[in-house]
Amino acid sequence: MVERRSPSRLAGSEGISDTPRPEVRFIRVPSIAERKLGTDYVAPMRLDPRVLEQMQSTIRDLEAKYADALKSQVAMLQVLVEPARKGDADARERLYALSHDMRGLAGTFGHAIVGQFADSLCRYIEKAKDGDWGDGTVVSFHVDAIRDALENPGTDPAITMETLNALDRLIGASGKKHNAGGAGRSTG
Amino acid sequence: MSAALFGKLTILVVDDSAYMRHLLMTLLQALGVKEVLLAIDGDEAWDLLQSKEPDIIITDAAMMPVDGFSFASRLRSIRGRALGMVPIIMVSGHTDIASVERARDIGISEFLSKPISARGLYERLIQVLDRPRQFVETPTYRGPDRRRRDRPFEGEDRRGAVALI
Repeated sequence: MVERRSPSRLAGSEGISDTPRPEVRFIRVPSIAERKLGTDYVAPMRLDPRVLEQMQSTIRDLEAKYADALKSQVAMLQVLVEPARKGDADARERLYALSHDMRGLAGTFGHAIVGQFADSLCRYIEKAKDGDWGDGTVVSFHVDAIRDALENPGTDPAITMETLNALDRLIGASGKKHNAGGAGRSTG
Repeated sequence: MSAALFGKLTILVVDDSAYMRHLLMTLLQALGVKEVLLAIDGDEAWDLLQSKEPDIIITDAAMMPVDGFSFASRLRSIRGRALGMVPIIMVSGHTDIASVERARDIGISEFLSKPISARGLYERLIQVLDRPRQFVETPTYRGPDRRRRDRPFEGEDRRGAVALI
């Protein structure tokens, strides 16, 4: 299994120099499919369209349940935004956790736009140095955008894109303002 | 073949989001996976591994207090047990180059970006089940070979111990 390879002939004098070289070990990893199936194994393993359909159907079954959960999460975001703007650490933590959940899940369940706004919000919070949210405008605008996207799922993609760009510009402007006010700080 | 194989697998899912754990578990069950183990962060997963040895680990990247990067790094440091080489699929909303490279350099087998799709998950599972990359051990890295393409190397042989012919 373990292979210790000899110096390369193409490496020139480097390959045979006396300088100690870091040891490199290559280990051949057996295929799990082969190990588990033994003689029943047929290579290569391919994606089975029937199984894929079964998985996609599972996601569709979960969609309605998730839609209810998403509504509650967005309502909670709106409750949290004000205390979070004022610096309440617990509210900020919960607001980030909810946005993080939406970033990961909304797109899977057909709410791609909600996921994109949540992603933008998460990236802003993650980059905000020392938890500096400025006056909180960036966060509240994001929360408003998330709520609108949930309530109006059929919005023209061009408008969505323009909103995302506007949020980006807002984040950029917010970063510049803080950079001007404090050495090396950036929220962008 | 697919159903027979998934019916023999134990997969550990590590994620701090209850919804994501549920989604992944349900998708794996739809595939026919025999046993799905769940943990809410790297610490809980580590405890679970004292009694179970899964065939594949699917972990989120951002978790508190022990994130997916630290967990994966700890796993890769295990020597002398198959668990140290277990395939790790990292699921993450951080899809920037830096995060993907960080995952790669820790020894992650596959990276799955959020939002996840059934096809994305299925494809990565097939990749780690049937087309595993060879494992590389150096003083600074332990994990699947980071080179996915098999083409001749033309630069300086910094490994110094690799036969090219």
